[in-house]
Amino acid sequence: MQIHKDVRNFILFIRRFFNLILFLGLEIICVVLIERTNTLQGNDIVSSANMVSGIVYKKQSDVVYYFGLRKMNDSLLNENVRLRKEIDQVRTLDTLKDSLVHRKIYPDDSSTHIVKYADYMYRTARVISNSTTASDNYITIDRGSKDGISKNMAVISGTGIVGRVEHVSAHYASVLSILSSKQKVSAKLKDGNNGYIIWDEKQPDVLIMTDVPQQAKVKKGDSVYTAIFSIFSPDILIGTVLKVETVKKNAMQLLYLQSSTNFHNLQYVYVIENKMITERKQLEDSTAKK
Amino acid sequence: MNVYLKNTLRFCIIILLQVLILNKITLRWWSEPGFPIFIPYVYPLFILLLPFETPVWALLIMGFILGTTVDSFMNTAGMHACATVLIAYLRTNVLSALLPRNLSEYAGQSPSIRSMSWMPFLVYSAFLIVLHHFVFFTIELWNVSNFGFLLLKILASSITSMLFIVVYLLLFTKQSTSRI
Repeated sequence: MQIHKDVRNFILFIRRFFNLILFLGLEIICVVLIERTNTLQGNDIVSSANMVSGIVYKKQSDVVYYFGLRKMNDSLLNENVRLRKEIDQVRTLDTLKDSLVHRKIYPDDSSTHIVKYADYMYRTARVISNSTTASDNYITIDRGSKDGISKNMAVISGTGIVGRVEHVSAHYASVLSILSSKQKVSAKLKDGNNGYIIWDEKQPDVLIMTDVPQQAKVKKGDSVYTAIFSIFSPDILIGTVLKVETVKKNAMQLLYLQSSTNFHNLQYVYVIENKMITERKQLEDSTAKK
Repeated sequence: MNVYLKNTLRFCIIILLQVLILNKITLRWWSEPGFPIFIPYVYPLFILLLPFETPVWALLIMGFILGTTVDSFMNTAGMHACATVLIAYLRTNVLSALLPRNLSEYAGQSPSIRSMSWMPFLVYSAFLIVLHHFVFFTIELWNVSNFGFLLLKILASSITSMLFIVVYLLLFTKQSTSRI
């Protein structure tokens, strides 16, 4: 009888506080979801890479795409001009003097003196959704694992860096842009001094470069590029210096950069696959263990 | 129109309005560097406009579904859901505090300007919207030490969202008497 009464009391308790219990339960689910996004694996269920939101964004982008064609054409022309200039610079190099750099790589050559270029694979993708106002901004693209996209690949636009792939589904992927508090990108100045790029969540065009040593001479208007040890291929433009500040605490310089990518009207991006990154990562991890 | 069909339709319309149109509008009151940019959120309006006699558990579940849907479009797993579930839970209490009669006497009606008149409805929606924005931006800007910036962002975006909500209501409520 005692047990029966207890069970009855318990059921009455549940019925009385059912709303409160449901409320607390749902809030706990939310908190767990929020917590999981802060881990490295992220959370693929509630992200814009999933099927439904991917399709909605894709349909919208199909409609809006045509309005932006003119702007996109201009930006492609600009990029072509820049690439042509770079080709011309390479052509005019004295190849006889610099023969080592331009030596071809033979697959069966076991010589240790060969200069090997890192292998990068570029894939184009269309931006189907974009944000600049949140504190972690995401971009959704219309390529997914079926097109060879995988997590942590670097993403650049025609004018500069964009971000890193975070969630992937079969046909879509969402990219965490550098307008985020969650990621740092290694960057370098023209004279070779390195630093990190962060974002202060305030203006979508202004990035901050920290940890620049005091002795680096920086002027307003200098360009900042990606460093070789980031996931991006080296020498991609990040931005130009707007303002230089000195932090008194650790005698480092703080640079405010005008981002070279216009995040407001991103139309298409390139996803970079670094084929050597897993090998490099393995080596670095095994060194770190020792 | 059937009340279920009507609310399902409204759910789809509000989600599409929020995701496809309002998310593209980035607003800023002044272009000074310290001033926050934000987008107006009108989707909590779905919870605010559900019929008076909706039980709390149904409100909670619909709030959760609404929040996670918006979250999945905006890559903010759980943040919108957290804020929306909170206002869904408090909705009934706020309504019974604001309305002169008991909630059960309003059978078959939904909160609107016509059933509540302007002032109580604005107080009701403003209270819940400010609460929603407060919770959402506090979670979003969790590790930002700048408290003034957070308050400014909450204030600016709440007022702007309220303006958009009033515009939505003016557009989508049937006028009982013609004004001409």
